[in-house]
Amino acid sequence: MYKAIGFLCILAGCAGWGHNLAGKEKERVGHLKALSQMLSQMRSEISYGKHTMPEICLLLAELNDKCYSSCFGRIYERTAGEGGTDFPKVWEEEFGKCLEPLPLREDERRTMTELAKSLRFREENGQAGRVGQAETFFEDRYRQAGEMIENRSKMIHSVSILTGLLLAILLL
Amino acid sequence: MRAEEILNLFPEESRERWREVAKQAKRLQEIRLRAGMPLSILVENREYFVDRQGRIVDMPGEAARPLPEELESLLGHLCKYSIYAFADEIRQGFLTVQGGHRVGLAGQVILDGEGRIKNMKYIRYLNIRIAHQIRGAADALMPCLFAEGRVMSTLLISPPGGGKTTMLRDIIRQVSDGTVYGRGVNVSVVDERSEIAGSYLGVSQNDVGIRTDVLDGCPKVEGMMRLIRSMAPRVLAVDEVGSLADAQALQMAGGCGCKLLATIHGGSMEEVRGKDYMRYVMEQRLFERYVMLDRRQGACRIVEIYDREGKPCTRQ
Repeated sequence: MYKAIGFLCILAGCAGWGHNLAGKEKERVGHLKALSQMLSQMRSEISYGKHTMPEICLLLAELNDKCYSSCFGRIYERTAGEGGTDFPKVWEEEFGKCLEPLPLREDERRTMTELAKSLRFREENGQAGRVGQAETFFEDRYRQAGEMIENRSKMIHSVSILTGLLLAILLL
Repeated sequence: MRAEEILNLFPEESRERWREVAKQAKRLQEIRLRAGMPLSILVENREYFVDRQGRIVDMPGEAARPLPEELESLLGHLCKYSIYAFADEIRQGFLTVQGGHRVGLAGQVILDGEGRIKNMKYIRYLNIRIAHQIRGAADALMPCLFAEGRVMSTLLISPPGGGKTTMLRDIIRQVSDGTVYGRGVNVSVVDERSEIAGSYLGVSQNDVGIRTDVLDGCPKVEGMMRLIRSMAPRVLAVDEVGSLADAQALQMAGGCGCKLLATIHGGSMEEVRGKDYMRYVMEQRLFERYVMLDRRQGACRIVEIYDREGKPCTRQ
């Protein structure tokens, strides 16, 4: 009886671990999609709205989800007022904090945190083009991750159950 | 004018250096930054220099010489790190920043295929002109601008730097808010060079009254008709009438029943009459009052007020 319960527990534990791993991959895909969409909104606001970056941050704070919304909101508060602080510095700090707990890769974090350093273009198409490059980067990553995720999650689930079985046989 | 406002014009890392200059906020007129050249300021029409530690000195040899990167950083800060959003202003050679201060720019222009200015690069000369709104500047003039509770079409005349815009801004504010001489009315302003309202990101930085609508950065001719159609003003104000097209647009606006407030460069009534484009306006008696202004000891002074016939009616 105890062996059967132990067997089930090990199996459930390993399946849960596998599910968690697969979930993180799905979460990463979701964030890649969100980042790509945000950059697309930012690009349109630069091209057509000709708004300043702090104003665009305010707009994005209203349009996006909790985690990004508060990040954009803080950037706006720190940069828009009289004598606002250095925008690229604030952007890097706030996005650094915001992206740190998220399941993103190092180069994906860096692309986002360092984006504001390239805000030097004198006309909107050049500036929008630079944001567009970052958008394409995230779009590509999203597409690649999306294609892989189905197979990978099946594999992760299978491997985790097999690992559970193996562990249960070895231990029991 | 607060010292903080002057400090906020500069990037955070260099603000400490501007503390001494910011203390002069009330008397400060200009801050001139030229790449590799002594950093100078104009305080009450006298030129001083600023050294690396931010001290105000008399000799250019002791002054700090800004690097091109410092000017780029300042420009980025003034444009909220969104230089593209200010491309139109940069093309015209000036920016209006928070507080209504104007920053004149010079560098290398980029021309388009038809020889028009497309943009500017290597901006290496900046002239920050500090805005000082003088509330009450038009107090002495107001009784002469109203008849039976209604404002009269008025043309302010002075040489450059004579205080026309300061006077016009205060007249607009008082006409819009209302005074003991007449009730407040809707005023529309075509602020072609952002000098009247000093709009920054669409928000007027100067007090131009509670019933005032501002069309910022729009050419006068186009702006006047647009405002008449869209905002139905009782009074229309423009700065620096300077061409036949401007004069014709004024005439059309006058024909729509609007009262006009405008300014023009000129040292005397004769000089204004001598301008080809003004001769017709004056023959049509579009303006009911002509006010000659000049500046003495830093203050704007009313020299003479003329009636619609061009005859002196009051001497101050």
